[in-house]
Amino acid sequence: MNARVEIASPIAVGEPLITCIELGHVYDFGRGRTAALGSISLTIDRGEFVCVLGPSGCGKTTLLNILAGFVVPAHGDVRVGGHAVDGPSSERGVVFQDYSLFPWLTAQANVEFGLRMAGRAARERATIAHDLLGLVGLPDEGAKYPFELSGGMKQRIAIARALATRPSLLLMDEPFAALDAMTRSSLQAKLVEIHRQERPTILFVTHNITEALVLASRLIVMAPNPGRIVEDIRIDLPRPRRRTAPRFNEIYEHVARAIGLETAE
Amino acid sequence: MAFGVSRHSVAGMIGTLAFFGAWEALSRSGFVNNVMLPAPSTIVQSAWELILTGELPRHLGASLVRAAIGFLGGSALGVILGVAMARLPLLHGTINPLVQMFRAVPSLAFVPLAIFWFGIGEMSKIVLIAWGVFFPVWVNTYIGVRDVSPLLGRAAASLGARGWRNFAYVVIPGALPFIIAGLRVSLSVALVVLVAAELAGAAFGVGYLIQMSQQVFRVDQMFVGLIALGAMGFAADLLFEHAVRRLLPWYGAEQAGQKGP
Repeated sequence: MNARVEIASPIAVGEPLITCIELGHVYDFGRGRTAALGSISLTIDRGEFVCVLGPSGCGKTTLLNILAGFVVPAHGDVRVGGHAVDGPSSERGVVFQDYSLFPWLTAQANVEFGLRMAGRAARERATIAHDLLGLVGLPDEGAKYPFELSGGMKQRIAIARALATRPSLLLMDEPFAALDAMTRSSLQAKLVEIHRQERPTILFVTHNITEALVLASRLIVMAPNPGRIVEDIRIDLPRPRRRTAPRFNEIYEHVARAIGLETAE
Repeated sequence: MAFGVSRHSVAGMIGTLAFFGAWEALSRSGFVNNVMLPAPSTIVQSAWELILTGELPRHLGASLVRAAIGFLGGSALGVILGVAMARLPLLHGTINPLVQMFRAVPSLAFVPLAIFWFGIGEMSKIVLIAWGVFFPVWVNTYIGVRDVSPLLGRAAASLGARGWRNFAYVVIPGALPFIIAGLRVSLSVALVVLVAAELAGAAFGVGYLIQMSQQVFRVDQMFVGLIALGAMGFAADLLFEHAVRRLLPWYGAEQAGQKGP
């Protein structure tokens, strides 16, 4: 519909996957209207690992929900892979903070779910699920039910499930926020590894600066009232990233200031 | 822990033995009329006789068949209508007032009417049991399907679940815990309605056995009937629990998990 406008993003060089043009959303809570998203324009290229960082109320989750197709934006245009977003689709996998695994399915059946919905054959589903369970490091847990798995394992299964239909975009909504620090850091490493191998485009929402700096190839910092982008920076730190590296801390300080945090730690 | 449990079960055993021992002693002591309060040993003997003559199995069999058919019929209808009403707002709007109206009337109150309409044969009992069973199953199914987790709904949608696949693979399994809870309540409802219907008029059945024994002053046989009903309810519940655990291994664990913070 819209001609492709070059949006203010100094680092868009590859093939764009996501194009948002003047995207805005308002939540109406009866007593008052909250501008969850002001007017956001954004281009994300294929293969990028984008972290969206910001305090609560900055609209980062709203942005993710719009991209997932869960929320229809009040105004603006959003395209993924050239198509206007029109409801949820297995083209855009989602990983939720609370895992949202189907409790009545085994880990393997959870991973196979999207393939089953697409009407793929049982043998093919099993092969793909087997590979993905291996990829997330749980090759032997396929027969277990979610209640038999730890939080970290559940989230690995959820990631495998979202990857099964080979979505062009993986949307992750604070997926590691409910996990303990050690599990979180091992899953971060796993996710970096998966991104290196499979090259999905990832949009990862978090409010944890360190997490964003460990993961992202590009960092988008948002601020509230109304939700808007205040920083859009490429994170060119070499991998594996060391949290103690001086450059890491430099960027950390910079981002913390952008969010308006006092950096006393 | 294991030690504590075994200590409790020993205490339970002693308590039970003491209760029946005291009962036996009381009946034999002559302080009470042992026709009015027959000793446990007498009851066991009567039970054995009723089993040998084939009388008890016949009554029990009749009651079981009625309860089973009524339960299956009533719960099938409850599930179907519950699902349909949760998915079709117009249907819900049309018949909800009616269902709520009938639900408010205790199902036992329909016993005389059912006997008047359907006689004292099998039909009246089965209809009554199905009627009583229907409501708890219907309510639970309706709520379960209506309140299926929106979060899981989102997860399913983002995995491409739509239409009948979404219904069969997400909505129905998501509602299963509610449906099972409804079925479980209905199991005891079925037993209550069964006995009420059999007491009010029947040619055989455990309720009839109790009724008849009263008229011929066989209190010992009345106790046999009571024990048979207790055993029936206990076995049904055990069987149900076993089937659920077998068919839906995730069910109990998930419920326990949800109690957490």
